[in-house]
Amino acid sequence: MKIAYAHLVQHILENPSIEQVSNSLFQLGHEHEIEGDIFDMEFTPNRGDCLSINGLLRDLAVFYTINLNQEIYNEKLNELSIDFENLSKNICPQISFLKLEVDQIPKRYNGSLDSYFLDLGLNKNNFFTDISNYLSYESGQPTHCYDSNKINGKLVFQEIEKVEEFETLFDKKITLTKKNAIFSLHNEVINLAGVVGGKSTSCSANTRTVIVECAFFQPEAIIGKSVKYDIQSEASHKFERGVDPECHDRVLRRFIKIVSDHVNIKDMSIVSFKYKDSPLYKIPVDTNKINQIIGINLSDNEYLSYLSKLSFVIHEGFISIPSFRSDIKTQNDLAEEIARVIGYDNITRAEISIPKSEKLNYKAVENKLRYFLLDHGFYEVINSPFVNLASEEAIKVDNPLDSNREYLRTNITNSLVDNLLYNEKRQKDSIKLFEISDIYTSINGIHKKRRLSIIASGKVGLDYENFSKKINKKYLSSLFHEALPKEVFDFQVLSRDSLDTKIKNEIISLEVDVDMFSNDILSYKEISKSPKNFNQYSPISDLPSSFKDISYSIKDYSKTQDLQDLLLNYQSDIIKNVYIFDYFQNEKSQEIKIGFRFVFQSKKTTLTSAQIELIYNNIVSDSLKIDGISIPGI
Amino acid sequence: MSSSKDIISPKLIKDIGSLHPINHMKDSIMSLLVSLGFEIVEGPEIETEEFNFDMLNIRKSHPARQMHDTFYVEKKSNLLRTHTSPVQIRGMLEKKPPLAFISGGKVYRKDDDATHLPMFHQVEGIYVDKNVNFAQLKDLIYKIIYSLFGDDVELRFRPSYFPFTEPSAEVDILSKEGKWLEILGCGLVNPIVLENCNIDSDEYSGLAFGLGIERIAMLKHGVTDIREFYKSNLDFLSQFK
Repeated sequence: MKIAYAHLVQHILENPSIEQVSNSLFQLGHEHEIEGDIFDMEFTPNRGDCLSINGLLRDLAVFYTINLNQEIYNEKLNELSIDFENLSKNICPQISFLKLEVDQIPKRYNGSLDSYFLDLGLNKNNFFTDISNYLSYESGQPTHCYDSNKINGKLVFQEIEKVEEFETLFDKKITLTKKNAIFSLHNEVINLAGVVGGKSTSCSANTRTVIVECAFFQPEAIIGKSVKYDIQSEASHKFERGVDPECHDRVLRRFIKIVSDHVNIKDMSIVSFKYKDSPLYKIPVDTNKINQIIGINLSDNEYLSYLSKLSFVIHEGFISIPSFRSDIKTQNDLAEEIARVIGYDNITRAEISIPKSEKLNYKAVENKLRYFLLDHGFYEVINSPFVNLASEEAIKVDNPLDSNREYLRTNITNSLVDNLLYNEKRQKDSIKLFEISDIYTSINGIHKKRRLSIIASGKVGLDYENFSKKINKKYLSSLFHEALPKEVFDFQVLSRDSLDTKIKNEIISLEVDVDMFSNDILSYKEISKSPKNFNQYSPISDLPSSFKDISYSIKDYSKTQDLQDLLLNYQSDIIKNVYIFDYFQNEKSQEIKIGFRFVFQSKKTTLTSAQIELIYNNIVSDSLKIDGISIPGI
Repeated sequence: MSSSKDIISPKLIKDIGSLHPINHMKDSIMSLLVSLGFEIVEGPEIETEEFNFDMLNIRKSHPARQMHDTFYVEKKSNLLRTHTSPVQIRGMLEKKPPLAFISGGKVYRKDDDATHLPMFHQVEGIYVDKNVNFAQLKDLIYKIIYSLFGDDVELRFRPSYFPFTEPSAEVDILSKEGKWLEILGCGLVNPIVLENCNIDSDEYSGLAFGLGIERIAMLKHGVTDIREFYKSNLDFLSQFK
């Protein structure tokens, strides 16, 4: 909600700067951005009472002297005779109507009404609707204006539960479904209560006689309607959060005053229907309890003085909660009021000491398994559970994001296959992944299983001992056998037939319940450690990568280290990775063969062969400067 | 020429895998909390409205209960938990105070854009004992944030609103660029919630807090797009060893 600094500060005697007001609002919990001289406020949903100038001023009164100086019409008013029936009094326990007839429409606005449109850069509509919008901004109470000439029958309020067509005053046609609180005339919906009025009875530039409706609607009857029908509605935002049920007389008298500041009023009358008193909450004064909740030491006088400034009335040991503060019901609510006023940051910390619980061996087997897999080059992944493949036992989402995510997955392996293909497309030739997750199924009730799934394909590793070995069932079986000699695992070879790939490497997978692992794994001694630092991430490139291998022959063995030092640390923007993929010491020919693989990738462009060639030639010439080494063929 | 005995083969650099950065962050935060005295409790990701909303004082009219925020399953009989708080409700129903629980895991909300995902991770904690107050809550939050971001980080508490805590606060830290960044939500457990769990709110009070793991992981690792965490790209994952 946008609120102009000028509209607040004109009521504050101390005349604080915009920064001072901003700091006060933050301390009170009213988050905002400042755009020029406008506060763009974001209120918490419990503070519907602050959605107006007056609401914010009521809160700011704890820091400043407030003078509202908003005049109202104070004379006695005639009683309006209106043909109205309320068939849902539980939803609308209070409602008032004001009928006004004016002799003309003003050409321009003055006072607060004028500055409202000017300072906030708002578009005008028609005289009465403009006043209604301004009053909602000033007081927080939305009102609705009907063109009186169009109300030619009995006005009925009720909550209906049937399909109805309705055209809003913004020309939007909607179909009302399920429960809706509405006003109707001759059985036709003319107003979606608390959300938006209808076109058929709305005011126009020519309207001279208006009926202003001012109501309290239960938030539960309004909530969700503006979203459901895709209607931007300031009114529903307020009704959903709760408005002041006791403000009708003042708001309508203020309406009259603003009209009379612009034009002559020929006739006016008012009527109020109150079917049920709004609840009055009283909470005992208990300063000790407040001090105990916050952890401070406030005196009675300080406590009560803060509450008085926030419009709470203290009488005979009880605190009466103002009608606009529907969020205050308990001592904890009052404690929050006091904590806000003191400032959360001004409350001194008090040492906390939680009694130590028995040390639990939390998920010991699962965590050991994770480190075992890490040691063998597996990467942990996390996948979304939403899938489009429905198996019989899959749980269906009633309101999915889209038709491709209608079910919860019943296995992890399919997600890992997708992950594998994703990485293969990025030229990864050694892929080992695992995921541990709860899997839910539904057959005669919802069942949960904690599952481990692993998938592996391609080279066993990129080091020179494993570079030429391919992952297969035997490799994985021996890996698991080493750590869990007593357990047997059913590794599967997954077919690539239905997969969108030309790669032929075998895909080996395993999916098992975590429960099936015995405590034997606990004796496994892991090499991997949880990282101590949180590495700074370097953005990755999605551009294609390519590689070049260089194989050296070294006669002077002492130069092996020099070559490694040079090549493994070779600096270039386009070298992504360098590793030794081949190493062989030929005793007979007194020669070392060593192969380096350079992986090239740019973060900016797809590399051309010329760009790669340039760096490659530099590497070759730099390395050949080392005595005693050669590149066979060069 | 050196003799063959002098030869040292090149260091064999075997590729060690890595924990997923989100799980690593979750584990780190949970270890920290365990060291402060909290006990880990677990609960299901598929929950009832009663545990996910009603017991936590989230009224039927609360926006979070609308169909557009919550994933419902099995003809609305259950839902995917929207936070890890129901785990604490289950914990409080099982154990009498004093109690200090944490729970961490996946939660679901119907969002999908560059900053929100339909699945994300939370860690939440609750401590219920006699005379637990807001000043102690502040102390605990300072300890958590100092431990995560260092003792020199500047933080601020802002009044906020959660149906299950009263008073409620959100906590921001000041970034190196001078911007306040929201880190966690916390508050004193609303007495209504304690009473819902058969805990006498005149005798006991509690504090609670919750952190979004992705948000903290993004800040700590400098990741700017939350979706990167869930692409399973080895170039991404291999950076978190």
